[in-house]
Amino acid sequence: MTFLQPWVLVALPLVALPLIIHLINQRRFQTVRWAAMQFLLAAKALSRGYSRLRHWLIMALRMAAVAAVILAVGRPLSRGWLTLAGGGRPDSAIVILDRSPSMQAVATAGGESKLDTGRRQLADSLATLRAGRVLVLSDPAKGPEEVASPTEIVELVSAGPVAAASDLPALLQSGYDFIRENAAGTTELWICSDQRANDWKPDDGAWGGIRDAFAKLPQQVRVQLLSYAAPALGNVAVRASNVRLETLGRDRRLVVTVAVSRQDDGGRLTLPVKFEIGGISTAVDVELTGREAVLKNHVIPLERSAAARSWGRVSIPADANPADNEFFFAYDAPPPRRSLVVAEDPAAGRVLELVAAIAPDKAAALVDLVPPGGLAAAAWDEAAALFWQGPLPEGRDAELVQAFLGRGGQVVFFAPDRPTTAEFVGCVWGEWTATGKPATAESWRTDQDLLANTLAGSALPLGDVEIRRSCGLSGDLVPLASLPGGAPLVARASRAEGVTFVATTPAPRDSSLAAEGVVLYALVQRAIDRGLTVLGGARQADAGTATAENARACGTWTRQGGAAASTEAGFHAGVFACGDRLVAVNRPVAEDAALPVADERIDALFRGLSFQRITGTAGDTNSIVQEIWRAFLIAMLLALVAEGLLSLPRPAAADRTAKTSRSLEAAA
Amino acid sequence: MFTDRQPRSFLDPAVLARLAAVPLLARRPMVGTVSGRHASPHRGSSVEFAEYRKYVPGDDLRRLDWRAFGRSDRHYVKEYEADTNLRLCLVLDTSGSMEFTSGGVTKIEYARRICGALGYLASQQGDAVGITCVAGGIVRTLPPRRSPAHLRLVFDVLEEAKPAGPTRLPEVLHEIAETTRQRAVVAIVSDLFCEPETLATAFSHLRFRRHDVAAFHLLDPQELAFQFQRPTRFLDMEGGGAIFADPIDITDRYHRAMEAYLANLRRVVLESAVDYHRVVTDQPYEQVLARFLVGRAAGRGLR
Repeated sequence: MTFLQPWVLVALPLVALPLIIHLINQRRFQTVRWAAMQFLLAAKALSRGYSRLRHWLIMALRMAAVAAVILAVGRPLSRGWLTLAGGGRPDSAIVILDRSPSMQAVATAGGESKLDTGRRQLADSLATLRAGRVLVLSDPAKGPEEVASPTEIVELVSAGPVAAASDLPALLQSGYDFIRENAAGTTELWICSDQRANDWKPDDGAWGGIRDAFAKLPQQVRVQLLSYAAPALGNVAVRASNVRLETLGRDRRLVVTVAVSRQDDGGRLTLPVKFEIGGISTAVDVELTGREAVLKNHVIPLERSAAARSWGRVSIPADANPADNEFFFAYDAPPPRRSLVVAEDPAAGRVLELVAAIAPDKAAALVDLVPPGGLAAAAWDEAAALFWQGPLPEGRDAELVQAFLGRGGQVVFFAPDRPTTAEFVGCVWGEWTATGKPATAESWRTDQDLLANTLAGSALPLGDVEIRRSCGLSGDLVPLASLPGGAPLVARASRAEGVTFVATTPAPRDSSLAAEGVVLYALVQRAIDRGLTVLGGARQADAGTATAENARACGTWTRQGGAAASTEAGFHAGVFACGDRLVAVNRPVAEDAALPVADERIDALFRGLSFQRITGTAGDTNSIVQEIWRAFLIAMLLALVAEGLLSLPRPAAADRTAKTSRSLEAAA
Repeated sequence: MFTDRQPRSFLDPAVLARLAAVPLLARRPMVGTVSGRHASPHRGSSVEFAEYRKYVPGDDLRRLDWRAFGRSDRHYVKEYEADTNLRLCLVLDTSGSMEFTSGGVTKIEYARRICGALGYLASQQGDAVGITCVAGGIVRTLPPRRSPAHLRLVFDVLEEAKPAGPTRLPEVLHEIAETTRQRAVVAIVSDLFCEPETLATAFSHLRFRRHDVAAFHLLDPQELAFQFQRPTRFLDMEGGGAIFADPIDITDRYHRAMEAYLANLRRVVLESAVDYHRVVTDQPYEQVLARFLVGRAAGRGLR
């Protein structure tokens, strides 16, 4: 328990005062010569247990009353209604704010959001605690930001809500670095969060190191989690995807796929989904019966005079979380389907070139067959995907491919004829394995990535593809398709986005990928489609650190729509103009389906540290740290009243005395 | 009557004069040696007709009822009730507990007044008066005598009685029942601080010996109320150990024990036909004695 005037506690030995008075009183007894001893003896023998219990109860209540007075004068502080935490006045308090969209949920319509409630409660509490320094940590890249007074936490712009997910491990690491470098004294880390899994990343390997680092700090660090884990009831999120501009003659139309989702199984709900493009609004009703409803390829006709490159917004009516009620998108005329093919085996190269050149729509598909050594001259800026059959790139080639990946390109590596020890994004080709009998894929992921089922739900016929020989593959991989025995056939690199490995080639001697062309065609075209999303004049981006870095690199981001201007470009939802491109920034997809991390799991993350969880609710007007001397005074009064009641002669005894007297009179 | 000039502190002439208006009567026939005012189990020569009896040779011819003979031609002897004197045995408890007082008169002093007044009244009407002082046993005893000089001795015993020692009242009552051969009025003046069951056997023994038992149960007001404010060490006045008690804790249970004791005692005295009088020492003893005497006078005629 924390006290504002802890020096008063030196008076705590006065708690023994009633006991001392009792002992003195025992020594001040009177002596009486008594005749009716037989009744005294009988009385002593009757129910001695209750008498002794009452005696000790009275003593305990008197001592409790004295203790309550002393503690009340010490001005105790309570942390949470049901939680009394240990600790005194900290030298520093670092407030770590989870500003993710889920923290903008409210408990009641028009009420205060979780983030606002947390900021206000933290400001009040830290003002009460009178911490030496107060720092706010909301961006791990910036580090803690000191505020002059705790009340500034409420008004601090950098402590406001954003559309990006939080990275709690990184924030804690940043807090640790600050404590270590600044040699802060007793420090309290106040984490304000709703315990969502995508913010906390409980499976992140960094947690162990962070925990050990804090444990080894010479100064005392207390971690306080102000948790608002209660879900936002009835909240529905909206998200748009696959936004594309289609041109039919002179007419243009926008095709959008809209998904509305919720985390609880509510009843049937009809939501008016509103589209706003270029100041023109249209609406369509979406019926939500389960947890998710998808409006696929919704067509919005555009005016002929409308610009090809523009942006829009899809929104739903206000609910428990306003942060996920709108979604921005930008669109542009589709870029040319250009792809690069690098192949050491001409047979494989021809197949890849052919497959990449057949566009799924009427748009022209361009394929550049790049000879080895000609990578520097390739049209990297216009290419959506790179198909590479050969040893993994090294040196300058690797740098070019990395740069291509960095701007969002897709790369599919096919097995080389002669594997080398070259490593790329943590992956290395192994030796070829020839099977006497052609093998087929044993299992593959049908829910996502390049081998996912079709939109109609049909699985790709990967089982029909015969693999005559396969090349070994090792490294940081996520298998997408596996051969019998578990060897990967198709795998995605886990260290880098957009890198896929295929452990064979389309050449007829290696597999029947070319002959059973459906799988290869889907794989190649999907890779190109993915690459196209970052080309052209419009793109979608998740709010967050990477987007913010891009925004800073770009120079000036001009807001086209969305929330008010902020210095934190890339963290807020909206549409920004960067050069001649439009970037629609939205919350990450994980925010819509993030479940809270269980309390036990959170406890495990801080095991070995001084950790305390305080549960709060959005809109709660009570302070989490408040003076509770009144409670102690009430406790003292109650103790005194109870002591008085116990000390009074029992009413039955008084009645009995009167009764005895009456019986005597009657006898007389 | 007072032949000595020695004033007795426990005798108040005014009270005695008022009480003398009511005779001290026995509740059952007494066997005395001389004529008195108490009913006798034998036929005698009083004026109160008892019955007719057939004449048998040897009867005094003067007692033949000639009128009955004239009416029935048979010889009847007319018999009358005999009136005799009684023996009043005063049993005075002189155990240590009788010295207790909560501020007024001590129980022994109160007992002296009752015994003195009863002795005087009995002696006045020609009855024999004796006294037995009881503590751990019989401390001192004087057999009943009718003479005024004996009454003075009784007063001397009363005056010299010093409360000390434990109470062995039931045992002494048994002894009195055995040693007092003729019927007597046994007046016990005590605080009766002993088990009611043991008293019950003693009372039954006295009743079996055809004694008329009267008991004056003396209680101090404080013994009933038990009102103490501070922790108290209680010293046993009869030589037992000490008890330390906090009145807050013990008062209730003390009252319960006292109530149980009084209820038991009431049952015992009802079963033993004891003329029981519970006396709180803040009451005037004149009232107590007047109630005692009037109660007995109302039962006059029982033989």
